[in-house]
Amino acid sequence: MRMFLKLAWRNILRNKRRTLIAGTAIGLGLASLIFMDALMIGFKNDMIHSVTGQFLGEGQIHAAGFRENMEPDLTVRGLDGVVSSLKKDAEVDRFTLRVLSQGMLTSSSGVNAVLVVGVQPETEAYLSQVDDVIARGDFFKGTTGREIVIGSKLAELLEVDIGDRLVLTVAQAAGGELSQEMFRVSGIYSFNLKELDGGMAFVRLAKAQSLLGIDGQVHQIALTFKNKLTGQTEADPFWGRYFRDGNEALGWIKLQPQMKSLLDIVQFAIVFLGLILFILVSMGIVNTLFMSIYERIFEFGVMRAVGTRPFGVWKLIVFEAGCLAVLSIGIGLALGFVTTFIAAQLGFNYHGVEFAKTTINIIYPVLELRQFLIYPLFVMIFTILAGIYPAFHGARLVPAKALRRTM
Amino acid sequence: MRITPHRPLPPMRILTLVLLLLPLSGLLSAAGPQAAQGSPASSAQQDQQVQKIIRTIDEMYRSRTSRARMEMNVVTPQWERTLTLEAWTQGMDKTFVRILQPKKERGVATLRLKNEMWNYLPNTNKVIKIPPSMMMGSWMGSDFTNDDLVKEYNLKDDYAVTIAVPPDAEAGLLYLECRPRPGLPVVWDRVLVAVRAEDDLPVWQKFFDEKGKLMRTMHFRDIRTFGSKKIPSVMELIPQNKEGQKTTVRFLDIAFDIKLADDVFTMRNLSRPL
Amino acid sequence: MLMLRVAFRNIFRQKRRSLLTFLTILFGFVLSSLAIGMTFGTFNSVVDSFTRTNLGHIQIHEKDYLDRPALYRTVNDLPQISRLLAGLPEVEAWAPRCYAAGLASLGDRTSGVQVIGIDPERENGASRFNKKIKQGRVFRPDSYKEVILGAGLAKYLKARPGDEVVIVSQAADGSIANDAYRLVGLLDSGSPDSDRIAFYLPLKTAQELFVLDGRAHEIIVVARRLDRVDTLAGRIAAGLQSSGLSVQTWKEFARSFYQAMLRDRRNHQLMTYIILLIVAIGVLNTILMSVLERRREYGILKAVGTKPRHIFALILLEANILALLATALGAVLTLGINGYLSVKGIRYAQDITFGGMQLNKVYSAVNVETFLVPALTILVFTSVVAFFPALKASRLDPARTMRLY
Repeated sequence: MRMFLKLAWRNILRNKRRTLIAGTAIGLGLASLIFMDALMIGFKNDMIHSVTGQFLGEGQIHAAGFRENMEPDLTVRGLDGVVSSLKKDAEVDRFTLRVLSQGMLTSSSGVNAVLVVGVQPETEAYLSQVDDVIARGDFFKGTTGREIVIGSKLAELLEVDIGDRLVLTVAQAAGGELSQEMFRVSGIYSFNLKELDGGMAFVRLAKAQSLLGIDGQVHQIALTFKNKLTGQTEADPFWGRYFRDGNEALGWIKLQPQMKSLLDIVQFAIVFLGLILFILVSMGIVNTLFMSIYERIFEFGVMRAVGTRPFGVWKLIVFEAGCLAVLSIGIGLALGFVTTFIAAQLGFNYHGVEFAKTTINIIYPVLELRQFLIYPLFVMIFTILAGIYPAFHGARLVPAKALRRTM
Repeated sequence: MRITPHRPLPPMRILTLVLLLLPLSGLLSAAGPQAAQGSPASSAQQDQQVQKIIRTIDEMYRSRTSRARMEMNVVTPQWERTLTLEAWTQGMDKTFVRILQPKKERGVATLRLKNEMWNYLPNTNKVIKIPPSMMMGSWMGSDFTNDDLVKEYNLKDDYAVTIAVPPDAEAGLLYLECRPRPGLPVVWDRVLVAVRAEDDLPVWQKFFDEKGKLMRTMHFRDIRTFGSKKIPSVMELIPQNKEGQKTTVRFLDIAFDIKLADDVFTMRNLSRPL
Repeated sequence: MLMLRVAFRNIFRQKRRSLLTFLTILFGFVLSSLAIGMTFGTFNSVVDSFTRTNLGHIQIHEKDYLDRPALYRTVNDLPQISRLLAGLPEVEAWAPRCYAAGLASLGDRTSGVQVIGIDPERENGASRFNKKIKQGRVFRPDSYKEVILGAGLAKYLKARPGDEVVIVSQAADGSIANDAYRLVGLLDSGSPDSDRIAFYLPLKTAQELFVLDGRAHEIIVVARRLDRVDTLAGRIAAGLQSSGLSVQTWKEFARSFYQAMLRDRRNHQLMTYIILLIVAIGVLNTILMSVLERRREYGILKAVGTKPRHIFALILLEANILALLATALGAVLTLGINGYLSVKGIRYAQDITFGGMQLNKVYSAVNVETFLVPALTILVFTSVVAFFPALKASRLDPARTMRLY
């Protein structure tokens, strides 16, 4: 046994060029599987991020019934308890508090209906991209409390620029009395998308609370998770923890159900492509192995001629396949790791289409330990399996015929 | 990826018929800024004169109760309409308005009690309750916004007023320049008011934004005496930034501080046939 | 010509080796072609599902309408547009709509809504309106005082089929628009945000309510084929030239969706490049190995007097013939497979619901790219890969070669 193993290694190492070519071919196949896997994770994250990153968040907590008609009285129940619980929650990455209300924004030129969003600028920056796409002014660097940040389309409709006056009117909680405040435009953002740039107005949380008469209360907690899949996993324990006592906790998949369908369709295509790659790599292994063995019929013929048993030749070929596999895996892992690592740092950036200049356009492949375990294992097993058929061929050689040197 | 309805909701220039005639006085106090105490630049005599003018304007439409018949004419680039209305008010919290003309809207009525509002629509014989968030838009497609109607900015405390002498001053008119106090929720930076020297009644008001551009003008005309009050019976609001748009309110008849029946401000009254 | 015959004979003599090379290239072609076909197919599938269930491929509005929606910004001459669209064969379906904002009320509940006037017959064909009704029924051609509410709105108003819902708003002539309609159906479009405010009326009803005088705000057009949308839009625009209307394709009026689709397409393309890379490596591996393993053979050839350049040519010829044959067969197979899949599609593991529609298949696509890209990759690579080894082989020293190999 040991002898055949040593023989196998020696054979492999003897013809360096052939081994290197075969090993690199298979190794590249392995590297591509790892890379593709990492890329697919990156795509998925990117898709989720495109839904959740602009403003929605990966999950939201509201008072039950708030989403239906945005009554200002329906604030998150037991806020302090929920917040302290979220701070300690291991699944939660970031969260921010928001006040939401319908309102009217008046400028010297016109009036527009808006969604008023009271935010905490420091934590809001992690949850939404509004601060990343500020075109003029800033995202609440000022401290007067009268800052208001609006979208470029809204600024255009109201004909205002940085520093101009706006009056915001809302209906208060507990009675619906109308209250008004004067603000000055301190920031104008632009996603380059009408829906986002035309309908929202951001003010400081405290200001929104006093405007609506709901001191200390909020309407929405938006969250991101450490595991990006939590937002779409309805069975995750997180949801049960907060969906109670008068509150609702919903993942983005429930907040925007039509997105799930689209994501599924796109995901299907990605998986399909991954499968094609997988098949190709497998075929490549078979091809490489077959080639390297069939080219050496003479060699095996000699072995048989000097007395090696058919089974011995069989074993030798299979072991050679195994050794080649080990070598290829080494090459493949190294290559795979380096390329994927570099790509994971740099990311893929898509130019040429006018996206807003935010991080949503960069795809980052994601390295995972699993990739470095299952794919090499597959290559190992498959390479050896691929060697079995030619091994039989080699075992059944008739030495006289094999030794004939043909062109 | 965002698959929101790509169509934005058309702006709610809804029929805030809803909004009808919040206290008439509210409407008009927006029209007549008053003085803060003691504008430092003016002399004591000027000060007194300013106070007097302001008091006149302020008291112009204010009363504990009122009943009025009026015409509202709205002109937009696309259409023009004239409504005849009858309105009752009590204090700042109770208002009842009914449309008399034209025929299509005859019998439509609105009741407002503090922060709650109901509409009656004879066409469908239904009363609908209007949520507070709906009360913020423009008033019947007119150029008055809720701002104008809700404000009870009591200019005594809210504006700094001084006598002004503009370059194109006309004889027989006095001019006041009114600046809102810092933080007052208004979008204009300054209001110029022209009043008649003889009786302190306003002739026009001009609203300027912070850049000094004229935003809108309110004209007051046709001074008449209703009971014990002598007031302009016509108010005309012209926005300067919109072509071909104008709203005119003409009071045909007003009675102030009269006794109103108990059931005026009730739901029953809403659906009472005309 | 001798060369050609020799090349062919060499190929057929070494059956196993040639077969391996041939199969490698063949499968590489077919699989990468399939990958490209799927990329296109998915793109088309998603765009089609999305546009055919609500937005349409092309939309016609008054030129400022999308930017500043207003009741008076109307599309005026519907009969003219109807004639124009009827005369364009690429139009599969079209439907007019009008929009307004209003207040809907039932009992003591009132909500802001978007009123949408739809043509009861045309809308079904243009946006599968009837498929989205989840309770009750859709409008009939003669429906008049009926309303269909979005499911979320009905829930908020606590309305059930049979109830009378009141709508109040402002008409195009400034008067109060007010009427009551019987609820006949509830709609689920897949987007809870729009369903929460959706108030559908038959077009004629809405036009009369809002005093629109036969006008509308939007015409959606569905084309027979996604790849003809741009030309169709051009034709429609030409036909409507001086009427103050703007004609836009889905890429323009659904820009954020288009951007998202482009990004997905780039993602798929990236994956396809990797696939092509592996195919190329497969070609490289095969061709290289076979040339290297036959050095003795070439040595003998040289020994008997074959000129170096003939050896060079022979090697390249053999490689290219194999590649061409494989590519040709691959093209035929691909036509069959992609063709089949573009008609029959591949079933999803689970049905996907979107816009009230059940999607259970994705279709592949057959087009120039699915042939050209793999073919070019393979053929170019074959020559490139065979070049240096062929060069080296032609320069072999026959004596050494025959001795060593």
